Amino acid sequence: MGPALVALGVVFVYSFVEVAHYSLYAGSIGQLTYVGFSNYRELFIDPQFVHAMFNNFRLLFTVPIVTILSLALALVINTTFRGVRAYRAIVFVPYILPATAMGLSFSYILQGNGILDGLLKNLHLSFLIHDWLGSPSWVMFSIGSVIVWQQFGFGVVVFSAALLAVPGETIEAARIDGANWWVVQRKILIPQIHRIIEFFVILQAIIVLSSVFTYIYVLTGGGPGYSSGVMEFFIYQNGFENGSIGIASAAAVVLLALASVLIAIYLWVRTRAAKEVN
Amino acid sequence: MNWKVLATEASTSTRSKSMAGRRVAHRLIAMFCVASLGLAMAVAPVAGSASAAAKKTNITYWFWGEGDIPGITKWMQQRIVTYQTLNPGVSITLVPQSDSTIIPSFALAAQNKSGPDIDTQWATLPVLLPALQGGVTPISKYVKSSETSKWLNTSENEYKGALYAMPLYVIGVPLVWNKKLFKQAGLDPNKAPTTWGEFLADCAALKAHGITPLGMGNKDGDFGAWMFAIYEKQALNSISQLTEGVANKGNDQAKLLASLTKMYTMFQGLMSKGYINSNVASLDFAQGWQLFPQGKAAMSFTTDGNALAWAKTIGQANIGVGEPPIWGTGTLAKTYDATQSSSEFITSWSPNKKADAKFLAWLHTPSNMVALNKETGAFPADSRFPKSNITNSLAKTLDGFDTAGTSIWLENFIPPSIDTSADRPAGQLITSGGTAASAVALWKQQLQLWQSQQPTQFNQFKTWAGASS
Repeated sequence: MGPALVALGVVFVYSFVEVAHYSLYAGSIGQLTYVGFSNYRELFIDPQFVHAMFNNFRLLFTVPIVTILSLALALVINTTFRGVRAYRAIVFVPYILPATAMGLSFSYILQGNGILDGLLKNLHLSFLIHDWLGSPSWVMFSIGSVIVWQQFGFGVVVFSAALLAVPGETIEAARIDGANWWVVQRKILIPQIHRIIEFFVILQAIIVLSSVFTYIYVLTGGGPGYSSGVMEFFIYQNGFENGSIGIASAAAVVLLALASVLIAIYLWVRTRAAKEVN
Repeated sequence: MNWKVLATEASTSTRSKSMAGRRVAHRLIAMFCVASLGLAMAVAPVAGSASAAAKKTNITYWFWGEGDIPGITKWMQQRIVTYQTLNPGVSITLVPQSDSTIIPSFALAAQNKSGPDIDTQWATLPVLLPALQGGVTPISKYVKSSETSKWLNTSENEYKGALYAMPLYVIGVPLVWNKKLFKQAGLDPNKAPTTWGEFLADCAALKAHGITPLGMGNKDGDFGAWMFAIYEKQALNSISQLTEGVANKGNDQAKLLASLTKMYTMFQGLMSKGYINSNVASLDFAQGWQLFPQGKAAMSFTTDGNALAWAKTIGQANIGVGEPPIWGTGTLAKTYDATQSSSEFITSWSPNKKADAKFLAWLHTPSNMVALNKETGAFPADSRFPKSNITNSLAKTLDGFDTAGTSIWLENFIPPSIDTSADRPAGQLITSGGTAASAVALWKQQLQLWQSQQPTQFNQFKTWAGASS
């Protein structure tokens, strides 16, 4: 217990204290100037940070989409049919693809006059053609779509595993009582796995709030301008590229606070679930 | 194993315990002697090499150049092998850097005063700002002026009479045009657009014939940064107009922002007229450049190296090279756009500064410079490089642009963090349909943020700008 606490202290508490400490300074390490809480004030009047935070919130829209799509597919492939295992494996592939490969592929697909635009043109849907990554109006939609595409496989696997754990007798009993496929899904299976669904939703919300850096870095680099910036990317640009450790640390504290709210909700859900079981 | 055998023998002997004991003792002594001899023999060469290692000068070199000159890392590796053969007491470890690590890695090293002995940074402020913070030793302290005077474009890294870094090559940014496509649009294929009016007229004619006039990529912000470097410069009468604006001296920032507004309005005009490929915002710089050799764009701003490579792709007879057309009316509009781009320097914490300097100066020996040109096509930044080695007519023209008169690459004169946070994103705003006003507002906001977030660097910049004006 003791060593574990020490390790936890070093890894988490020390890091957090350091970040919080740096958030009160301006300048680079080695030439820091104490500025108190002015970095926090500066953050919330900085259009780039406000926009980055707004983008993180916009990405929350991907959560219900990923959840509904992956749950729907998990329910469909829950029934045993030929090749179901292969199908589950295939839908999981995007989730394990390296971010750089994914970024490269989608850059070619989504760039102006790229593969998607070419396809739309061939389908006589030219009115839908856009510079998906180069237009500030479309770039977050494009990034959101890539997130949905990649997280979808993870959702299917999580939900499939949960569905497999539902006792077969319950479903059998419902069928004997005359329940059709749709009723079995709606009244038996979904309620049986609702704790997993809650867990997945919160996990996805945490991901889009604090773990989307890779998508932004490989697809747009935060551009055009700052239009696809998110909080993590703001931290990277200021902390690493510009050497402004203070404002980057202040942004990290804000991001941690927001993520903590979601983590608290998650813990509350878990505690409630444990109480229900007991 | 032997100990076990000896122990077993000793315990199982039924004859004389003392004899057995003596035998064991003899064997132990014999083994000890053999082991000692073996150990002595084994240690002797190690100790020898350890003392040799102690005498050996180790140099760690964080090198960048591949982004400008493909093949230069290989050239450098070969030079190091040769240098180590000529100087057996020197060991050089080359650590290639990428575009994204070159600045942050050195910033971290400078904070800890450890890392490279020799480092590469982009010219001027990426060298001089760390120098002002005490991270760079002037190379002029260790290399004689009779040598440094032969190096080209050294003014890019000079401050208060000291030279801080060494150039390796000079890179120019010409306008290239496809003669076939010009002909197709009814234009004179042998005439470069030199004035802005001619450039716009050529663009209009090309567009009217369904040809994309200018092919570029700006996903990474490089094209925007080039427009700033080439065309904002043309609006200025001196570099201090820029640096004093960045340093927020008096009313100079307002003047700088006003001139940026004009430049971005011109840039926005090119976009709105459709003179730049429509997907410029989602192609990175290298991807945008590919439009030219693929025959999908009639003109491009590029590097000497690319111009020469493209001449091989589309045929030298089909490519024209010229200086970028003149848009601005400032005194600097007459200067060309060549730079040493990257610069090599000795870090202040290097324990072997003399050895570092000796190696760097050795890179400028004529045979190395000739090899650089031969192996990579780069134009060496050394006046001793025999021009007779440049035999290709196109290369001769490009070298002429680079060395004929004064050259300024304006991007070198803004702090790297302003380049990253204002210059590049502002250009991206323009190529993604934004207005000049929004681009300039971004500059203003980022200059203020830099001033408040980097007070020490801001003051150092002000000192440098004041001394350099």
